Amino acid sequence: MKRRSIRIPNLGNARAHILHRPHPTVQALTRQLTAIGLVVNQSWPELGAEALAADYIFFDADMGHDAMFPWEAGQPPVPMVALIGSEAPGRIEWSLKAGAHAQLLKPVGDSGAYSALIIARNAFDAQKALSAEIADLKRRLEDRQTVVRAVTLLAARGKTEADAYAQLRQMAMAWRISFEDAATRIVAAQGAGKDADDRPRRG
Amino acid sequence: MRTSSSGPQQGFYVCGTTILRGQGVKRRIELGLLYSRSGSYSLISEACRTGALAAIAMVNADPALDVTFLPVERDPGGNIDAYGPLCEDIIRTTGARHVVGCVTSWSRKEVIPTVEKFGGTLWYAVPYEGFEASDHVVYTHACPNQHLLPLLDWVMPAHGCRAYLIGSNYIWGWEMNRLARERITTAGGEVTGERYLPIGSHEVGRMIEELRFTRPDFILNSLIGASSYEFLAAYRALGAEDAHFRPETCPVLSCNLTECELPALGPSAEGLVAAGPYFRGVTGWPGAGQFGSSHEAAAYSAVRELARLLSHREGAEGLPLSHLLAGDTGAGIVDPETHHTVLPVIIARVKDGAFQPIKQLGAVAGDPYLSRGRMAPVAPMLRVVS
Repeated sequence: MKRRSIRIPNLGNARAHILHRPHPTVQALTRQLTAIGLVVNQSWPELGAEALAADYIFFDADMGHDAMFPWEAGQPPVPMVALIGSEAPGRIEWSLKAGAHAQLLKPVGDSGAYSALIIARNAFDAQKALSAEIADLKRRLEDRQTVVRAVTLLAARGKTEADAYAQLRQMAMAWRISFEDAATRIVAAQGAGKDADDRPRRG
Repeated sequence: MRTSSSGPQQGFYVCGTTILRGQGVKRRIELGLLYSRSGSYSLISEACRTGALAAIAMVNADPALDVTFLPVERDPGGNIDAYGPLCEDIIRTTGARHVVGCVTSWSRKEVIPTVEKFGGTLWYAVPYEGFEASDHVVYTHACPNQHLLPLLDWVMPAHGCRAYLIGSNYIWGWEMNRLARERITTAGGEVTGERYLPIGSHEVGRMIEELRFTRPDFILNSLIGASSYEFLAAYRALGAEDAHFRPETCPVLSCNLTECELPALGPSAEGLVAAGPYFRGVTGWPGAGQFGSSHEAAAYSAVRELARLLSHREGAEGLPLSHLLAGDTGAGIVDPETHHTVLPVIIARVKDGAFQPIKQLGAVAGDPYLSRGRMAPVAPMLRVVS
C-alpha cells in the first residue's frame, strides 16, 4: 500500500484539553502548548462539555478510567496523548485501550509536547484512513456474491465470462459507480424484470 | 562599538560589589560566555562575543543600573561535545546562572538539557530554524517568519520559483530547506535539487555541476562557515563562465550571512542577498546602528536586556527565567510565551563589499511555530535604548 504523506499541521489556535488534576505537570505542559500557539483548557476528574470542541486531548494515564470520556471506549473523536507517570503494564494497557495515539512521560519538563502533537495527529489520521479503507474493503468482500450473479446474468445473454466481466466494468465506469454497485444494480434490475441499461443516466 | 575588553570599566571591587565613583553600590554578577573562538564558524562566534562584551562594558559603566557583569568565559573550540560540559562547568563552578552563547542549533540543543537541569538560562543570539520555545532559552535573533519567509516572498516574484537548496548537514540546513520546499511548492514553484555537506567540508563540486544542469532561478544557501565560503567562490567562478549564474539572474540567498563573514568572502559575496534584523548602519534596533553585524547586535541586545531585568531586583540573578520575566515591571523585549523577540525584517544585497538594504518590512514578532499568523505587524518599538 502507498505510504500516506505526513502532514505537519499548523497548530495556531488549535484547542488542547488537559484531563489531569492541577499539578506542575499541567503547568509545564500548558506552557509548552501555549508557546506552540494552542489554546489550552484543563479539567478534572471529568472531561466536561467544552472538551468536545478540543482538537487534542492530553489525559492522565495514572488515574484515568473509561467513564472519564463521553464516547465509546477506545473510539476518541480526536487525537489523544497519554500522560504517563507510572509505567506499569496495566496503566499502559488501559491507555492503549482508551485510544492513546502518543504519550508524554511525567514529569513533563521543557519539551516533548510538539512531537507528541504531531505524532498523535499523524497516528489518528492514519487510523481513520485505515478504518475507512477497511470498511470499504469489507463491503466489497460482502458484495462478491452479487458480482458473481451479475456476471452470470450478463453471460447468459450469450457472452463469455470474460466479456461479461468487461461489460460490467464498462457499465460501472459509464454510471460512475463502483464495480460492486453496478453489479447490485444489474441484479436488482433482473429481479424487477427490466434491463439495468433502461435506467436514466446520471450526469 | 568594537571593544575586546571585559569586566567593569570604572570603579573598583569591594566584596562582590563595585563602587562606581560618585554612584551607588553596584551588584557584581557573573555572566557566562560560551563561544567557540576557533573552528569552522568562529567569525560568527567572535561577532557575538564582541557584542556581548560591548554590552557588558556599557552596563558596567551605566550609573542607572545597579549591576555590573563579570564575564566567565569557556571556549568549546568548535567541538560539539564540549558545549554541554562547559555550560555545566559555568553553572556549577561559578555564580553565573545566565549564559550568553552557542552559534549552531546543534550546540544549542546540546546545552538546553544542562540549563534545564541546573535552572540556568541560555541567551541565544544567532538566527535559527524555529520550532523551539524552551523555558530556559531567550532567542534574540531571528526565526523563519523573520528571515526565510520574507526572503522567499521577495525572491519568487522578483526572480522566479525554481530553487536549488543547499545546507550544512545538521538541523539548521535540514529545517530551513524543509520549510523552503514547503513554501516554494505551495506557491507553485519547484525545487531543482537539494544537497548537504558535512560542517567544514569543501566538496562543493557536485553542487556546482547540478546547478549547471538544472539552471534554477535562485539558490538558498544554508551552508555555514568554510563550506559556504568555498561554495560562494565556486559560484562566482561559475557566473564568470555562464551569465545565467550571475546575481542579477540567479542570486544566492542567505538567512545567516552578515558583515562578520564578509572578510572571509571578499568579492565572492558580491550580489548575495540576505535577510536579517540589522545591517551595518541601519538604525532603530537595537541602538543607533553602530554594530558590526546583526550577530553583534543580537548578543548586545541580550546582555542589555538581562541587565535591565536584573537591575534593582536584589537576588533576581538566581531566579529561573520564567520567574525573572514574570516579575518584570518594565517594558521587556522577551515575549513571555515564546521567549522570542520583536525584530525588524530587512532584506539587503551585498554591493561593493557592504550590505545595502533593498526592502525593509518593519518590526515583526518572532513566531517560532509559525502558528500566530506570520508577518503580523506589531506596534513600533518605542523603548529608548541608550
